[in-house]
Amino acid sequence: MADIVTPPVSPNGRKRLDFDQIKKTVIDSQIWRSIFRGGVWKDTPRDRAAHIIGNVWLHLHPVKVRKRAIEWTYTWGLGGISFMLFLILTLTGVLLMFYYRPTIDLAYRDMKDLEFAVTLGKLMRNAHRWSAQAMVVFVILHMMRVFLTAAYKKPREFNWGVGVLLLTFTLFLSFTGYLLPWDQLAIWAVTVGTNMAGASPFLGNEGPFGSLMGMRINNDIRFTLLGGTTVGENTLLRFYVLHCVAVPLLVGVLLILHFWRIRKDSFSAAPRDPNEEKVEVWPNLIVREYMAAAGCVLVILLWSVLQNAPLEVVANPNVTPNPSKAPWYFVGLQELLVYFDPWIAGVVIPTVIIIGLMAIPYLDEDPRGVGYYSIRERPFANTLFLLGIAMWFILIFIGYFCRGPNYQWYWPWESWLKVKAPPPPTWSLPMWAGGLLLLAYFGLGLVAPKLIQKDINWKKAFLWCGAALTGFSLICLFQGITWDRLPWLYFFGFAYFLFGFLVPQRYIRTLSWTRYIVTMSLVLMMMGVLLKMGLRLGFDIKYVFTLPQFSLNI
Amino acid sequence: MSEPTTPTSQPIPVPASKSVPANAAMTRRNFLWLGWSALVVFFTASAAATARFFFPNVIYEPSQKFNAGPAKDYPMGVSLKWQNEQRVWIERNEKGFTVFWARCTHLGCTPNWFADQNRFRCPCHGSNFNIEGDVIAGPAPKPLYRCAVEIASTGDLIIDKAILENRPGFRDKSPFFAQYQATV
Repeated sequence: MADIVTPPVSPNGRKRLDFDQIKKTVIDSQIWRSIFRGGVWKDTPRDRAAHIIGNVWLHLHPVKVRKRAIEWTYTWGLGGISFMLFLILTLTGVLLMFYYRPTIDLAYRDMKDLEFAVTLGKLMRNAHRWSAQAMVVFVILHMMRVFLTAAYKKPREFNWGVGVLLLTFTLFLSFTGYLLPWDQLAIWAVTVGTNMAGASPFLGNEGPFGSLMGMRINNDIRFTLLGGTTVGENTLLRFYVLHCVAVPLLVGVLLILHFWRIRKDSFSAAPRDPNEEKVEVWPNLIVREYMAAAGCVLVILLWSVLQNAPLEVVANPNVTPNPSKAPWYFVGLQELLVYFDPWIAGVVIPTVIIIGLMAIPYLDEDPRGVGYYSIRERPFANTLFLLGIAMWFILIFIGYFCRGPNYQWYWPWESWLKVKAPPPPTWSLPMWAGGLLLLAYFGLGLVAPKLIQKDINWKKAFLWCGAALTGFSLICLFQGITWDRLPWLYFFGFAYFLFGFLVPQRYIRTLSWTRYIVTMSLVLMMMGVLLKMGLRLGFDIKYVFTLPQFSLNI
Repeated sequence: MSEPTTPTSQPIPVPASKSVPANAAMTRRNFLWLGWSALVVFFTASAAATARFFFPNVIYEPSQKFNAGPAKDYPMGVSLKWQNEQRVWIERNEKGFTVFWARCTHLGCTPNWFADQNRFRCPCHGSNFNIEGDVIAGPAPKPLYRCAVEIASTGDLIIDKAILENRPGFRDKSPFFAQYQATV
């Protein structure tokens, strides 16, 4: 068929360029054949399979994949977009490195040069900044997608763990990256962040038991991060190396592992029936990947043209802007730091979140609901997971929109110029009361849902809870608490009762004791964060339990 | 082992290590123990050496001791004169000088002095301190630190930020309080 090639003739009789002939000549040439393996391309199933297998970049894909696994409405392309953003970040990051010198005298000047003296420098910096923020968003969305489709369940437990690590490193890359401009945001965000490390239990000079371990300002974990006792020259260099070399390499290794396991464990849309149809990866999946990547580049470029990345005034290690706020994805953490001591908010809570997320596939043994948006089959898992995500974003909302000068509470519609009365003094519970309260919360809260064997009638339970809260709020009013604090009492009281007691009682009391206790501890810790917020906002309680000798305050 | 045994004979039990005299060649088991132990020691030492690498023996940081000028030039109350350069507040009352290190004990931001409210307020997480440096609101766990201060023979205030104290009973005495009465 292809033997007789008649050159096409245009209506006016002249010969036109024959693109098919040119393509054939190029593809069959020795040079092309030496680069791309395989014989003449006939677009047969064998060719398409060989294209995947024979290409070092493409062979992380399988040859065929279940049709449902590549539907937009299943994956939304979130993982692929995250990876594409990582590639954009690598490219723009390498370009920025050509003009950036990590010393405190030059760093900020180089940022200004990128902005005003380098053609397209501003665009590259914008693209780098916006891709980084987009990557945080898309990695979180990807995690939510994987959770909602139960794709973390056996045999993909390990890959979920790798994913959680990748999320952590994405955030760590952002953290190390935002010191580099050496502006006010940079230095204060990193001062606060590294001081949290200094509050680590055992390893930090200001943390619980730190002094017992012989930690001082010049030998603890904070010093290791800073390369000094304050954020300075060594810190900038350390963060530069971590940001540009060490962490990206680690992330690259984890990404390869992540992709390889996706393929080996087969894509997560588990077959609904054993003979479900499969389609070829070339071109079906590859085309989608390229489309997502192209869309991603387009949006980032457009956004970077329209919106400049912020750059504050040059870093001043002695003066903090007022109010001083972290980048939005860390503002939730910043808000947590208002309610808890740094070693809890900055070290224990993030660690528990990371380990807790990684533990989920080993706690959730229920094999149902894999491979589709399984809301009905998994009410407990989905509710608590989404509650956690919602809490994180509510904290971000509070920190970003409800905090004004001196980090005081200003509603979003209030002007920051309005002078407010300074915050009321805080107080702590006496040690015996706090100890009893903690014991009761973790002791009773842990076992009660499992010991009550009957299904609780939620309507009645809510009425009882409402009555109890009303009674309690009346006592509070008589004790001199003003009425505007009462909404906090009702909100946090109801939230705990629903998510910390009723939901677990209904759905997880049948778990084995080990799994139940671990799951319930995580639930109680999460709800404990809410309750402590309620105690602070409603009653100005600073610590529930405190051992000042060991800097152990809860 | 000198003569080959016949297939019918009973196998002689040879305890792996005990049968070998102490000065004999090393057994396979001992060799492996030694080898793996050496490997573990090597990797542990490498990790420790790498960790040590991150602690430089010299750090180039500015001196924490400075001369804040003549004591007589300071008015009563809280002076912010050195906040931007040396990160301290100098408080003078009728009896003498107290110098606060302008670093929030929560996470190290610099609080601001509000004379009308008579408190220091931190812009990062909302900690409030009174004129004594004690926490009155917000998350800070400890009172503000005071720096060692002395009045040199020239009449200048000499402040050392490397010597700090925040415990009541200690922070009000020398060297964290410098007696000074203006000789008008």
